[in-house]
Amino acid sequence: MKSKLAYMLAPLLVLCMSFSFAQERTISGNVTDQSGMPLPGVSVIIVGTQTGTQTDFDGNYSINASPGQNLRFSYLGQKTVTRLVGSSSNIDVRMEEDAEALEEVVVQGYRTATKETSSISSQTITSATIENRPNANLVQTLSGQVAGLNITAATGQPGAAPNVVLRGQGSITGNNEPLYIIDGIPVDANAFRSLNPNDIDSFSVLRDAGATAIYGNRGANGVIIIKTRQGGYNQGLQINYTGITSFSTLQDNKYDLMDSQEQLQLERQLGRGRGSILSEAEIAAAPTFDWSNFFFDTGVTQNHTLNMSSGAENINQFTSLGYFEQEGILSDSDLKRFNIRSNINGKSSNDKFNYGLSLGINYSESNEPNNVGGSGINRNYILGAYQSVPYITADDYTNGADLLSPLSFANTPLFLLDRLRTFTRQEDEVQLLGSLNASYKITPSLTANVVLSSEFRDEIRTTAEGPESFNALLFAQGKDPSGTQFQQSTRQFSYNQVTSLNWAKVFGKHSLDIGVYTEYFKAHFQEFGYTQEGLDPKTFAPGDGSAFIGDNPDNDFYVDSVNANILDSGLFSYFGSLDYDYDTKYGFAATLRRDASYRFSGSNRWGTFWSLAGRWNIHNESFMDGSIFNILKLRASYGTTGNQNIANTGTPGIYFDAPDRTRDLFATGTGYGAANALFLSQIGNSTLQWETITTANLGFDFEMFNSRVRGTLEGYIRTTTDLYLESPISAINAVTELNTNSGELENRGVDFTLNYDVFRGQDFNLTLSAVGNFNEQEIIDLPTEDGTVIDGGLTALREGGRLDEYYTYRYAGVNPANGNLLFLTADGNVTENPDVDNDRVFLNSNRAPDWNGSFSLQADYKGWFTTVQMNYAFGVDRYDFDLSGFQSPDNVGQFRTTRDLLRAWTPDNRVTDIPALNATNRALGGSSDRYLRDADFMRLRFATIGYSFPAKALEGTGFSKVSIFANGENLLTFTKWRGFDVETLNATNVTQSRLYPTPRTFSIGFELGF
Amino acid sequence: MKSLNNVMLLLAVILIWSCNDAIDIQQPGRLGAEEAFQSAADLEQGILGVYNEFDVTQEIQFNAVFTDEISIGFDNGGQGLGNGEYGFILNAGSNAPTALWINQYDALNAANRLIEAAVQITPEADEQAAYNNALGEAYALRAFAHFQLLSYFSPDYADDSALAAILLDFVPTVDQQLPRATNAEFYALIESDLNQAANLLTVESSATFVSQDFVTALRARIAAYRGNYGQAATFSQELIDKYPLANRAEYEAMFLDAINTEIIFKLERTINDDYDGQGSTGSGTAGGWAGANFAFVDGTIDGSPYFEMGRSLFNQIDPADIRFDVNINNTSIISPDYQSAADFRNEDILVIGKYFGNEKPLLNDLKVFIASEMLLIRAEAYADAGNFNGASNSTAALLKQLRDARFGADTALPTFANEAEAFGAILDERRLELAFEGHRWKDLKRIGARGNRAIDRDPLDCAVNGACNLPVDDFRFTMPIPLVELNANNNIQQNPGY
Repeated sequence: MKSKLAYMLAPLLVLCMSFSFAQERTISGNVTDQSGMPLPGVSVIIVGTQTGTQTDFDGNYSINASPGQNLRFSYLGQKTVTRLVGSSSNIDVRMEEDAEALEEVVVQGYRTATKETSSISSQTITSATIENRPNANLVQTLSGQVAGLNITAATGQPGAAPNVVLRGQGSITGNNEPLYIIDGIPVDANAFRSLNPNDIDSFSVLRDAGATAIYGNRGANGVIIIKTRQGGYNQGLQINYTGITSFSTLQDNKYDLMDSQEQLQLERQLGRGRGSILSEAEIAAAPTFDWSNFFFDTGVTQNHTLNMSSGAENINQFTSLGYFEQEGILSDSDLKRFNIRSNINGKSSNDKFNYGLSLGINYSESNEPNNVGGSGINRNYILGAYQSVPYITADDYTNGADLLSPLSFANTPLFLLDRLRTFTRQEDEVQLLGSLNASYKITPSLTANVVLSSEFRDEIRTTAEGPESFNALLFAQGKDPSGTQFQQSTRQFSYNQVTSLNWAKVFGKHSLDIGVYTEYFKAHFQEFGYTQEGLDPKTFAPGDGSAFIGDNPDNDFYVDSVNANILDSGLFSYFGSLDYDYDTKYGFAATLRRDASYRFSGSNRWGTFWSLAGRWNIHNESFMDGSIFNILKLRASYGTTGNQNIANTGTPGIYFDAPDRTRDLFATGTGYGAANALFLSQIGNSTLQWETITTANLGFDFEMFNSRVRGTLEGYIRTTTDLYLESPISAINAVTELNTNSGELENRGVDFTLNYDVFRGQDFNLTLSAVGNFNEQEIIDLPTEDGTVIDGGLTALREGGRLDEYYTYRYAGVNPANGNLLFLTADGNVTENPDVDNDRVFLNSNRAPDWNGSFSLQADYKGWFTTVQMNYAFGVDRYDFDLSGFQSPDNVGQFRTTRDLLRAWTPDNRVTDIPALNATNRALGGSSDRYLRDADFMRLRFATIGYSFPAKALEGTGFSKVSIFANGENLLTFTKWRGFDVETLNATNVTQSRLYPTPRTFSIGFELGF
Repeated sequence: MKSLNNVMLLLAVILIWSCNDAIDIQQPGRLGAEEAFQSAADLEQGILGVYNEFDVTQEIQFNAVFTDEISIGFDNGGQGLGNGEYGFILNAGSNAPTALWINQYDALNAANRLIEAAVQITPEADEQAAYNNALGEAYALRAFAHFQLLSYFSPDYADDSALAAILLDFVPTVDQQLPRATNAEFYALIESDLNQAANLLTVESSATFVSQDFVTALRARIAAYRGNYGQAATFSQELIDKYPLANRAEYEAMFLDAINTEIIFKLERTINDDYDGQGSTGSGTAGGWAGANFAFVDGTIDGSPYFEMGRSLFNQIDPADIRFDVNINNTSIISPDYQSAADFRNEDILVIGKYFGNEKPLLNDLKVFIASEMLLIRAEAYADAGNFNGASNSTAALLKQLRDARFGADTALPTFANEAEAFGAILDERRLELAFEGHRWKDLKRIGARGNRAIDRDPLDCAVNGACNLPVDDFRFTMPIPLVELNANNNIQQNPGY
């Protein structure tokens, strides 16, 4: 296998040179339509070249081509035909009419429609705007491209899943992630780490109930249908290679951090830390070491994709090999990935039977540091990068043992440097994705279909803390040698089957399409693992067991812990769809689905979800003749979907989370004195059910001025009822929250896309686009008597408010009289001593944007092409606790601070925004809104420029396509946010700081086609 | 192709027939609540689950941080500050009342489930003793949890009409929103539970399990808190007679969990139990190793002590007293003249030694009732009765007895001018004797005024936030009903001041 791969990748140039020695000769023939009439003007092109001709008035052509080359015949309204040049010098072609050729196919989930006859709200993104981007996770690439789809990075970890929310968060404690379906295989957001984005042909995002209701209790958060690339029938072998190299770096910050001299002087002034014992001369001589440059480094990415496609009369194939290697900007974070994909389609010669097989084999290996975002000065590299004092340098490090005494917080960077050297956390994943679809036309109007699909994922996670590491020694707890290794093996298999019958018939101007379906889903999860305490340094290697130290009779230090877990899940549904069209002027569609989820088998077994959608193709009305509109369509839909993914814990994943919350359960396990005990483990809710989202949608699709201006504008109201919430219950129940369906939430908003071809010509094209979403959220109902859910945190819920609304007491600046902090009471009076409980107020803001989307420009001139995409998000407010740390006088002596402190209040500097360094109430600042910041941004998310060599230049080289390009991600950001990355956000802990920022990335690449 | 057609139809039929295997899924390893308890052996296994709900690290943490037992350590990363208890910040959202409230009700819920299950079980003759003992333990633990609630949430222990907390002697349903019961109702249930326990328990004494002695000790403490000093005298005397005071070596060994000389009851903590780990450091939520309430890593100066011993407490302890050795780790750096130290925090490092750890650093059993507490209760009873001076049967005599044991030498017999001095001396002695064991806040609340004592922080310790003292009649000497309960329960009444 390995040698074969090397052969495929390496000698491409040799391979193509051999093509050019082939002999050319003249091929001629005649092209007719299906009734045998000669077709003039048919384009005849040698596939993979720019060489071509047209048929004459009698349908005749002649062209010089070599055996082995393919001729492609194309003509408007006819199906394209490709023929292989063989020994014969005559090739006659009879073309067939293609009813759908004029119209784009619109993906509607289980069925498709044309652009004219579709009644739903969806947006399709093609490979053109996905491929060759440097993001390891292809979902990240979609950011800003789809109206209503808000994608924000959760971390800069290569391959990690971003936060994806369609049209506003519709669930509070349940899962908000859309349903992803790749070639018929339902997958979750974690499936994308191992997938090759360059294998993707299109993404279709289904937004309204008309589109998603047919997905029943899986469709509430929207559905994203992903299709991988396919070969075409009657097409010669096409080979394509893409190579990209990228360089990622840390984005800039505006914290204005102190250098060593300033830091030490401040320490001296406050009598704390190293500065308090150094002389002026020693301070002046101290080096300034930039720890952010130490923990963050330029990450290099390599990306190779080779694909081959070809097709014969009744079979076609697409094969792809990918290799991807990305270093994260954070030390010790990376992703390596190897992909093989094989897609095969076939059909019977009478076209009645069609089948397709889609297979993906993916293997990835990643190093993913944990504890990112945490406050462990010995665990979180990010904390070390940002907060370490600059006068300690990497040269101060000797080994872990030397850091034990004296144990000083200021040594944070050295603890973490030690961890970099001694700690491993690696995830290996094998993912198999496979689907088989088959259809058979029983009669011309009746088709039977089946789609069988499965996903298999096997992950081994290894975490090892070396026996001589600082952390192992620090927490040795009597163990000698110390050290810990943890391994967890997780396996997940899911199987999905859709069986359906479709009946379609045209009666004059009426056409009717009816489908009935059943869907069966089953998934199995199994995991096991161990934690080994005690590793012998002589034989220690991460992941290996040679160094394991066994239990002994003297103590229990080396008792290992083991775990195992099995979970199963399943769904069963039957459903139907009906689509009606009259003369492509009016149409409506209806869907109805009955759905059962294993989660609620004990409470509410069956749910019913439905939708109605209608459209009016106004442009087809006679009164529109001669109008500026090429297309003007009005759509409306209304319907319901469900969300049965009622938990959002991350592990074991959405299929298996909260499997039986309807039951009261006991468990056996560790009890008092570590003895085996029997105890209550869960209080159930016997009335639990799915959340229901009802969506009303009204939209216009339009194209004007010869389709120069194209766009969509739609408004929606999405109401979540039976909102899944942790309802407070009295502590007498041994829990204080119970999962109930007890709230109501509404998201209202507008989606729009607008494209304008400013120039449209032979040599120069320029298109400007805008994509956007405005969303407004309102909590309608909460389960408490007073309509609020408040706990001790900085956010709370209230009826009429929004999710994660900030709720705290307000900071009001610095008291010029004494340098103390001033706050506002709930009534708005100024105080130095707020009641930290009762002076809290709702602040009308949260971290979700009101507006988000992008502006973009696409242009090409002769062979040159460029794309520029600016993303924006407005109405975002977030806590900047990194800034809080940098501005904290209490951190002086232990951590790095900002120059902002130089303008702190003093009796001589009374009017300032920084309180006195010894302000007596300074500790109250942190949980006020002092560090709540505007995190709106406008970002140059993506820009590319490239050049495709003209066909003429490639003649005789054997290449059909050569293009080179350079691109960049996150090149420029306009924001008031002072941190490293305005976008990175932990969606489940919105006030968390010290996160792994997404990088700025530059790439160069080239694409070769043969 | 016809056969394919048939295959499709067959598939559809099979699917409809087999759909239930996708919906009716029983996850493996689940035990339904109805099947949990079926025999006396199940009760014995269940009572280990009830014990496991008890944790007093929240008490240890809160009493130490809120009062005057600790100071901010040199390796402090903000613990106790900000919204922390060291600034006397206590509100419905605070961690300590939340954790104390939840923990007691977790324990009560577990105990009630066991007690109700026991009714359904008829033990075999050879199981009767085990059955009785398990049930007796459940009753005694239920009494203890109720008293814990009362002692943190009742404004006045001695006032029978004051509100305590929610009385829970049954398995509740999730929709119940119960009001608080009065102290009188609490004391009545506690007494009835303790009587039941006394009738059922087959174990006389046991350091780590509930025994007859546990019942007596709890009765003694309750009586003292309630001001029923007659009863307090009887119960405490019973245990004083049974448990001798430890000598110096025994005392040291006792806090290393090597021996149990004075231990009437302690919660066992051991490697690989649920509490083996660093809990919530610097927060009233606590949990985990007791010693991790004060240090991150271990009980020495290199163990990153984020809280150290308060200077005022330190100043009270004579180096000749064995309690000096137990409470102050010998790696401490003691400034000879701390008041004029240039960098007080780094030049005077008083590492708390009480939870040095036995099996592991910071891992210690949690002492709940020890003989010296009984002796001090007895001393209170004498003082209350006016018998505070004299060489025998007096407060002074008992204090001398205790100090003699701790010094390993004869100490002076104290004399008191009045009752306030006697109570003051008892409070001072309790401060040393029960340091870091979760008593100080409750002691100041109940007899602080009577002994003329209050929170006593060294000015250098409280310079960090200006929180130097708090009168013992401040509302924060009663905990607020936590927000988690207020959110869920419309019938609950908040305490005054919050």
